[in-house]
Amino acid sequence: MTTAGRTAPGPTALARRDPTVVLGTLLVVSLLLLVPVDPWTPGALLVAAVAAARAGGVPWRTLLRGAATFGPFAVSVLAVNLVTRPGVPVAHVAGLTVTDVGALVGAGLAVRTLLVGTLAVVVASSLDPVRLVTSLHQRVGLTSRAAAALLAGHRVLEQLPARWVAVRQAQAARLPGPRPRRPGRLPASPRLLGRAAFTLLVVTLRQAQQMAVALETRGVGSGPRTVHRPVPLGPGDGVLAATALGVVLLVGLVTWRLGLLETWGTVGR
Amino acid sequence: MIEATGLRVRWPHTADDVLAGVDLRVDAGERVLLLGTSGSGKSTLLRALAGVVPQQVDASTWGDVRVAGHRVLSPTAPGAPAVPTTTTAVLARDVGTLTQDPWAQLCLPTVEDEVASGLEHRGVPRAQIGRRVREALLAVGAAHLRGRRTAELSGGEGQRVALATVLAARPRVLLLDEPTALLDPAAATAVAHALRRAATGRATLLVEHRLDEQGADEQGADEPARRGTDEARSDGGATDGQDAAAGLPGRVVVLGPAGRVLADGPTADVLRDLAHDLAALGTWLPWWAELAAARVRDLADLPAVAPARAPDDAPVLLQSRDLVVRRGDRTAVAGASLDVRAGRVTAVVGLNGSGKSSLLLALAGLLPAEGVVRGARPALVLQRPEQQLLARTVRDEVAWGPRRARLPDADARTDAALAAHGLTGLAGADPFRLSGGQQRRLAVAAVTVGDHEVVLADEPTFGQDRATWRTCARALRGLADAGRGVVLVTHDVRLVAEVADDVLVLRDGRVLAHGPVDAVLRAGALPRAGLPLPPAVRAALADGRPVAAVLGALAARVGEHAVAGVPA
Repeated sequence: MTTAGRTAPGPTALARRDPTVVLGTLLVVSLLLLVPVDPWTPGALLVAAVAAARAGGVPWRTLLRGAATFGPFAVSVLAVNLVTRPGVPVAHVAGLTVTDVGALVGAGLAVRTLLVGTLAVVVASSLDPVRLVTSLHQRVGLTSRAAAALLAGHRVLEQLPARWVAVRQAQAARLPGPRPRRPGRLPASPRLLGRAAFTLLVVTLRQAQQMAVALETRGVGSGPRTVHRPVPLGPGDGVLAATALGVVLLVGLVTWRLGLLETWGTVGR
Repeated sequence: MIEATGLRVRWPHTADDVLAGVDLRVDAGERVLLLGTSGSGKSTLLRALAGVVPQQVDASTWGDVRVAGHRVLSPTAPGAPAVPTTTTAVLARDVGTLTQDPWAQLCLPTVEDEVASGLEHRGVPRAQIGRRVREALLAVGAAHLRGRRTAELSGGEGQRVALATVLAARPRVLLLDEPTALLDPAAATAVAHALRRAATGRATLLVEHRLDEQGADEQGADEPARRGTDEARSDGGATDGQDAAAGLPGRVVVLGPAGRVLADGPTADVLRDLAHDLAALGTWLPWWAELAAARVRDLADLPAVAPARAPDDAPVLLQSRDLVVRRGDRTAVAGASLDVRAGRVTAVVGLNGSGKSSLLLALAGLLPAEGVVRGARPALVLQRPEQQLLARTVRDEVAWGPRRARLPDADARTDAALAAHGLTGLAGADPFRLSGGQQRRLAVAAVTVGDHEVVLADEPTFGQDRATWRTCARALRGLADAGRGVVLVTHDVRLVAEVADDVLVLRDGRVLAHGPVDAVLRAGALPRAGLPLPPAVRAALADGRPVAAVLGALAARVGEHAVAGVPA
């Protein structure tokens, strides 16, 4: 989050943590989530993640955006697994057989999808691009050229929506015929959209090329760089990583003790 | 500080050199203005000195170039091609480069990070960065922008931030390529003054079209309203070149069409002595030099005949009443009423952000608006012509509209439009590979080839040299003289004065004045809207005769063709 005068930490608790630690923790948690295939373990973690996110200042809108983005994918994962896994038939739907293993694994993978998606959206919304790149430079030795390229790429992407509208307006201005019935409504025929997409690609590539030259003339890669505002690594970062990993292991332990935890090695036996 | 000997540059797959043996020496503390027509190699020279050519932009090079103590280009053997010997990035530790488009130079999300990044990459100790960022922003009058996001800056603000990024690194050499081209007059004057202050102690090479703004006083830029009618009434007659050139760099180098140095000397002397030749080359001149090119002391010495224009009660082709345009939470246009009449050119003027482009898009039906818009669907030529391209060849691009409208004479119209805009030889070329000027001609050809009764144009002359500007002005006037209605959105007051019949002045989305051009100019409405009148327009107003007639007569005397309606 960027605030007046600086790329300062944003309002969420996560935004005040070191971005490399946050990303590393997310990566490890995602790898650990590959183990369970039951819905109970990722379900409990999803509840915990939403509660933690709300406590940390993440708005409901962000969480719902994650659900809306990854929900359809989760539903498709569930649907495919319901009718393609071997196991004991529990229902017949439209000529397809739903199995118990399919229902269990499908639900597990669907909830896992929602969980990872929610975590990703929360992390992405909390990361400031400059702090992220600075942190990656400090912690994992991201080169100054790569850092500059990432930030320039972010800026190009930031401008993309406005440029897309501008290109479509520019091309709509070429159309013959009477005035549009609904002012501001741009033509959306696949052919025109395809032409607009090509133009957008060319225009964006040209801007990227100009920015690359601008970065060269700014001395990028001319020697060791310094950092204006380094990202501090503090005890809070360790607490974050330890808490996140601890909660995942604790929930896994509880579901195992309750007999609910299923892995690829146990499911269907 | 800059030493180029026998510098030659040739683009791949071309037979001619764009720079054909340039010798140039610029000492520390010296400011040099680089003039030349489009295609004379001005930008190429700056890019070669910065190392961009041939390192980032492929080209064959010859000669010996040293900049700020670095060997930039060295010949591999006497007379053999030269190769780069210092990388662009290393050279950048001592050489600052600024180009015309701020959006292609701002690479980070916030202003402070943007200015700091140049220092970080040059290895400036962390303890110094904050102070140098503040100093650089203060030096260009942008201290208040430090907390802003770069995406939210206006063009003038963005260019000042880009300049601060260059200056913060304290380069020994400044290479400035039309740094005010995209700015409105007030912003251009402010940036010009920031550049002048920044040049102290540095070797500076400046490519610039807008010479009057370079010499304008800064107070005028900051307080355009105060100057108001006083300016409009002041005598804009010729002054002594030495005094009038005071705001310009002390030395000028002129590049000719063949990529060679045509003249090199004190600015006042060169501009005065070669004024007519420079005008013939198509370069802009400061006002006093333009009078010298016309070989007159005062505009009163010129015979002027009022151009024949369509009457102000000609049929209305497009009409808006109480038009309100909202962009997000902001009201971009707050109640604009406008009649676009057959045979007449209406100019919509105002500073960047005053609502001009929003009004144009609403007239074209491309933005939702409250109020009434009646009449034909207009054609629209936008500021960035590449965004309007739809086809893969120039010919298909021009033919796209007529074919879509199923006009029976689509091919004949296309041929005629290609010929009229000098594009016949490029008919098979890829539109995206054309130069900026060619793309602009193509956009005008493609938009006007159809049957649209009304043509709208957004900033049709920005960043153009005098010759291209004149061609564009003539084309726009020609559309009106052929019976179409034309609306120009611009902050080019000279264009308004020469081409338009009516003018609508916008400030902060509100209509400040609307009426015939001469009346609005004489009422001082443009300076009140933040648009100072250029000296040529002030002088034409002081002359008392119709402004378009006087300026047309001046153009004719300088050796060019006058805009339609004015005898050459």
